[in-house]
Amino acid sequence: MAPAPVTVPEAALALDGNILVIGYGNTLRQDDGVGPYVAERVSDLGLPGVRTHVAAQLNPEHAELLSKARLVVFVDASVSPGRKVGLRPVRAAATLQLTTHAADPATLVALARDLFGRAPEAWSLTIPAMQLGFGEEFSPFAWLGVDAALDEVTTLLRSRVDS
Amino acid sequence: MSKRIIIDPVTRIEGHAKISVFLDDAGNVSDAEFHVVEFRGFEKFCEGRSFSEMPGITPRICGICPVSHLLASAKAGDAIMAVNIPPAADKLRRLMNLGQIVQSHALSFFHLSAPDFLLGWDAPAETRNVFGLIASNEGLARAGIRLRQFGQEIIEVLGGKKIHPAWAVPGGVRSALSAEGAAKIRAWLPEAHQTTQVALGLFKKVLETHERETQLYGNFPSLFMGLVAPDGTWEHHGGRLRFTDSSGSTIADQIEPRDYKTVIGESSEDGSYLKSPYYLPLGREDGIYRVGPLARLNVCSRMGVPKADEELRNFRSFGHGSVTSSFLYHYARLIEILASLEYIERALADPDLSSQDLRADAGINSLRGVGASEAPRGTLFHDYTVDRDGKLLKVNLIVATGQNNLAMNRTVAQIARHFLKGTEVTEPMLNRIEHGIRCYDPCLSCSTHAAGKMALHLQLVGPDGSVVKDVVRD
Repeated sequence: MAPAPVTVPEAALALDGNILVIGYGNTLRQDDGVGPYVAERVSDLGLPGVRTHVAAQLNPEHAELLSKARLVVFVDASVSPGRKVGLRPVRAAATLQLTTHAADPATLVALARDLFGRAPEAWSLTIPAMQLGFGEEFSPFAWLGVDAALDEVTTLLRSRVDS
Repeated sequence: MSKRIIIDPVTRIEGHAKISVFLDDAGNVSDAEFHVVEFRGFEKFCEGRSFSEMPGITPRICGICPVSHLLASAKAGDAIMAVNIPPAADKLRRLMNLGQIVQSHALSFFHLSAPDFLLGWDAPAETRNVFGLIASNEGLARAGIRLRQFGQEIIEVLGGKKIHPAWAVPGGVRSALSAEGAAKIRAWLPEAHQTTQVALGLFKKVLETHERETQLYGNFPSLFMGLVAPDGTWEHHGGRLRFTDSSGSTIADQIEPRDYKTVIGESSEDGSYLKSPYYLPLGREDGIYRVGPLARLNVCSRMGVPKADEELRNFRSFGHGSVTSSFLYHYARLIEILASLEYIERALADPDLSSQDLRADAGINSLRGVGASEAPRGTLFHDYTVDRDGKLLKVNLIVATGQNNLAMNRTVAQIARHFLKGTEVTEPMLNRIEHGIRCYDPCLSCSTHAAGKMALHLQLVGPDGSVVKDVVRD
């Protein structure tokens, strides 16, 4: 039952060599919006070779975006136990996450590798979230995390922009 | 001793939900219910805001189909201002909606549903997903992702971003299509067409081997509703409402969306935040209707574009009058992608798309405004009541998934009756039940997210409320 292959333009698979920061979350659900906020602040820094992308959630088509970058940093709110900002490497993993409405970083890295032939070095930066009600204001707790996350990500990016 | 089987949460649908299957004393399925257990409250908290803010707020209802809410909301605003928007603005809104249909249907077909019918109902759950699809057919999986990306690209080219673009406004749109944007879309169209044709060929082969699924996955008489043009042609943004029955007869036609209350009643159920609309003249029991791709193809007289019209003729060979199997939602989705591509191609040749006459301006000229648009999953209504300052006094949203709620219950019950006997619960059987829901591609709009896996949780609950069996699939 193998159908004829679909021709994908070469440009779609080309490496751009950039560093990519993806901030994701719902900006109308209070602390859930910290990921997009951090990505926008990183964009304001204007670091050479650093691109930013904001999304409500990670989707399968982000895999192609990832496959073009040499380094990707995912920035997201976290409701997991723990009160500290976490910066952890992401390893490609074919999880079940993509069977639902959104993908997780490990799944996307695996998709980039399996579908577009390239998995970038990837990091996950998580910011503890406390209030997820309706609204655009972050909790004081989230603001502390935002500041720490900006320190973490800029340190990482500055160490890598020229490498 | 009656029992209840709960599947909680349901996987591969947009949002969080659970399914309860009720068994009678003999262990046979007596009924089923699809519950939405997450409360969003948009209708309530929008009260007090200005109607002009609504196109900026309501797309946040959903990260999957924000464009649908954006457009319905803008149309409700048009009605409150009592303006006819410039022709270019209408064409641009339509173009964005077509992009939305393509991206949403592509996700549903390639990544959420295809793993079931391409990899097999009995394939292990851990491989029956997009990664299994990659292992089986890498090119198809990649093409599916890129088809979705194509639709997203149209939205981004017009709205400036893929998710939550605040581009459509009461009275029109904010910006035209740039020459660069048009060139980008035009260059991508051949690949999108190719992918769609491949998928159509593939699914028609699936139908040859899935006669049982076609017979059992939500195959029952019901009404169907969707927007149609004045001559009955398939519509996705303008037009009026048409209802047909399972024999294919039109029972209500050219109903203005603002008069939806004359044909649609709304009921609610205990244990679910999802409303259950029904065709009012027939009452809740007999007025069950379906919306979305299957319904739109049943109510229209033609697609209005040649390739999709040819597919429509083949599609109709699966029914006697209307096509009544919900398994054929998948086929209808592909035909709608094809039609959308043809309409997009046609739109790109229209010089109006670069017009700068994009917005009509006016004050409050009507204290109520209703906007309706065809979301990928079905007809979406935004009904606003405002005061003289344009402040919202009342908001009523009727979403596609709600309108399919009663049909989803019936679909689950039909599948469960056939595949579920006693209390023996197998994974493939659960997946079949879930797939009955996936046919409708419901969007429950979780509107927030948290790290973690969506697991499948099934419980058998005895009449005294105790858990007889507890199955969790990670």
